[in-house]
Amino acid sequence: MSLLGVQDVVTAYGKIEALKGVSLEVAPGSITCLLGPNGAGKTTLMMTIAGILKPKRGRIVFDGADIAGRAPHAIVGRGVALVPENRLVFPGMSVLENLLAGAYQRGDKKTVAEDLERMFGRFPRLKERAAQLAGTLSGGEQQMLAVARALMSRPKLLLMDEPSLGLAPLVVEEIFRIVADLHKDGATIFLVEQNAHMALKVAHHFYLIEQGRISFSGTPGALAEDEVIRRAYLGSSKA
Amino acid sequence: MDDYAIGVLTNIGLVSFLALSAYLLLVAGEMSFGQQAFFGVGAYAGGILTAMYGWPLPLAALAAMTLGALAQLLVGLPTLRLRGLYFAMATLASAEMMRILFELLHFQRVVDGDAVGPDGTQGFRGIRWVFEHGVEPIEYLAIVYALLALALAGFLRLERSRLGATLRGVGEDAELAAVLGVDVTRCKLGVAAAAGALAALGGVLFAHHNTYVEPRNFDIMLGVHSLAYALIGGLGTALGPLLGVVLDIGALEGSRVFQGYRMIVFGGLVALLLVWRPRGLLDERTVQWLKQRFS
Amino acid sequence: MIDLAQNTLDGLFLGSSYALLALGFTLIFGVLRRVNLSYGPAIMLGCYAATWAHLSFGAGLLALAAIAVLCTTLAGAYVERLCFAPHRQSSAIAAMVASFALWMQLEELATLALPRHIYDFPPLYAGAPLDFWGLSLRVESLVMLGAAIAVCALLWWILYRARFGIAVRAVIDQPNAAQLAGISVPRTFMLTFAMASAIGGLAGFLIAASHEQVTPMLGMWSTLKGLLAMMLGGLGSLPGAVAGGLALGLLEAHSQWFLGPQARDLIAYALLFLLLAARVPWMTTRSAS
Repeated sequence: MSLLGVQDVVTAYGKIEALKGVSLEVAPGSITCLLGPNGAGKTTLMMTIAGILKPKRGRIVFDGADIAGRAPHAIVGRGVALVPENRLVFPGMSVLENLLAGAYQRGDKKTVAEDLERMFGRFPRLKERAAQLAGTLSGGEQQMLAVARALMSRPKLLLMDEPSLGLAPLVVEEIFRIVADLHKDGATIFLVEQNAHMALKVAHHFYLIEQGRISFSGTPGALAEDEVIRRAYLGSSKA
Repeated sequence: MDDYAIGVLTNIGLVSFLALSAYLLLVAGEMSFGQQAFFGVGAYAGGILTAMYGWPLPLAALAAMTLGALAQLLVGLPTLRLRGLYFAMATLASAEMMRILFELLHFQRVVDGDAVGPDGTQGFRGIRWVFEHGVEPIEYLAIVYALLALALAGFLRLERSRLGATLRGVGEDAELAAVLGVDVTRCKLGVAAAAGALAALGGVLFAHHNTYVEPRNFDIMLGVHSLAYALIGGLGTALGPLLGVVLDIGALEGSRVFQGYRMIVFGGLVALLLVWRPRGLLDERTVQWLKQRFS
Repeated sequence: MIDLAQNTLDGLFLGSSYALLALGFTLIFGVLRRVNLSYGPAIMLGCYAATWAHLSFGAGLLALAAIAVLCTTLAGAYVERLCFAPHRQSSAIAAMVASFALWMQLEELATLALPRHIYDFPPLYAGAPLDFWGLSLRVESLVMLGAAIAVCALLWWILYRARFGIAVRAVIDQPNAAQLAGISVPRTFMLTFAMASAIGGLAGFLIAASHEQVTPMLGMWSTLKGLLAMMLGGLGSLPGAVAGGLALGLLEAHSQWFLGPQARDLIAYALLFLLLAARVPWMTTRSAS
């Protein structure tokens, strides 16, 4: 039984269909990775699952219920949190307030305070800068803040849209170490990536999206075997 | 036609000039809360020239239009670079200043034994050129609509021309237009002058229809109404503002069915209409569709 | 000298009523980036409802205050549903014109119920003004100033200390991220609007009770004064709204004293026009919250 099941989802911008019937599954406790070129529909899919975009057709089954077309805050309430592309922290609010905003739906102050401590334990840099405005953080710090903010809602499924985008290689490694850590603690993660090398190290299952359709589904081994994908995404031939 | 019908139709025509003036600015991307000021300038200037100095109406109208254009240029020069709400507030401030200046204006002259001219908050009586020259109400109505038709013809021609397309471009994205080589400032100043002249023409005709004007006529209510007419009717064509005026003054006030609570009906209808069509009944898309359909 | 001091004092008190009006206006603008022209007419409707309750049942001051605040809030919620909720993504002009349309509606509704040109409103305080070294101090003015300060403090607390404040600031800061954090943007808009309208209702009640009358001009007056004070203080800043209101009050009191009542309004508008034309930095760079 999968945690997330996307079934034949079509999402359109006006008359242009960015997703032309996408189906995929994310197993509980797994790291699933979506690869694909720019403009293939990766971010559109993430935004559709998170409820920012409404699908024209199809079902999105999360934890046994169809969440397609529901309001974003209701989807967060059901346990799906998205770390958006380009992070989108609240630049005019402090790091601490960003984290509290992530826990907005949770009424219990005590558990929120506990989680806050846990986040500061996991991301010591954020603790140092708790009172600083988020807009003044570096790109990597903002990415960590965005991840921590999403975790503050205690999601059952964490969606991450290109967390490595625009970050220095060392920072990218740190981000992927965090992804692996989160997985070790039992999180289910659905990740969009351009950086297939890094994704290969952590993910259990891969999907490839091209022109709004899923064109490949398989394990890291199968992905590495596929000559075409190797050329396109790993930048080297088998020889 | 009875007098009441003629009165309503004339009013529709007069207010249409003001609505067109607001529409022209909206197309060029500026929202003005202050077109009533130039309507007022036209009314006062035209009235002063005919009633106090004995000018013929056509000449007075031309002079008033020139003055209206100059006045709007004067206001526009320092403010046209402001955006959205800032421009709207600057026009509101200038229009209210103008209204207060009308209240402070005491300028009278004895004509045929009577003191004639603006008398502060008491208003300006005796703008009687139309009656003295034996123009019948129905004839005056014809004059108003002939001028309105002329203005509309100008608009429709403009909208088919390259200049019209340029204006819409400036309205939609001034920066893009500037990058494409359009002199945005000149464009907007031209629009301002034309809008001022149009409003002033409406004002002259209004003053000579009513024979009496007072500063209160030109308060913010009038300005926001004209803006609303342009938006209700639609921003796709110059016929839009006219449709807006006809709907309000014609259908609601004219029909006398909703007397006493006309504004409750009108206000609710407008709000609902804008939910359905945020750029008015005859918006750009509808106009495009109609054109394809009938050409 | 005593006149100058008295004028300054009067100006500050007048300004505190403007500050209250501007606070509600600013809250709406800060969150929605939209101007609500029927802010004033909603206040007028609230005050008319209170006046009606006073005439019909002789309701006491506290009840009148409650009625004014409640009815203004309801009218505000109606305006939000019809004019602002549908236009969140689309044009700002449509929202503004729609709110103007409801202005007409609310005003006519109020004057249909109470058609006379002027109605008495029970005074906030019936006693004589206090006297301090020759300066006369109206108790109602003190209450107004106190209310402006209290509302400002309460708003600050809500925005920077309460959980709801996080939602409001998040929506202002980055609306898309706010949705992803689980904050309902429509609900935040609605509640902010209601809060702003309640402040407006309180302002309206205090103004009516210190002028001891209501007239059909109350709607337009509130919208214009609130808008003017908000613009003078720099759009969208709460401390700016208070400063703008007080500055407007001082300006009006002094120019009325020196130049007469018509010059009073003329100077306020001229100042706004000049500041806009000169594009002074605090007015043309928008700060949030």
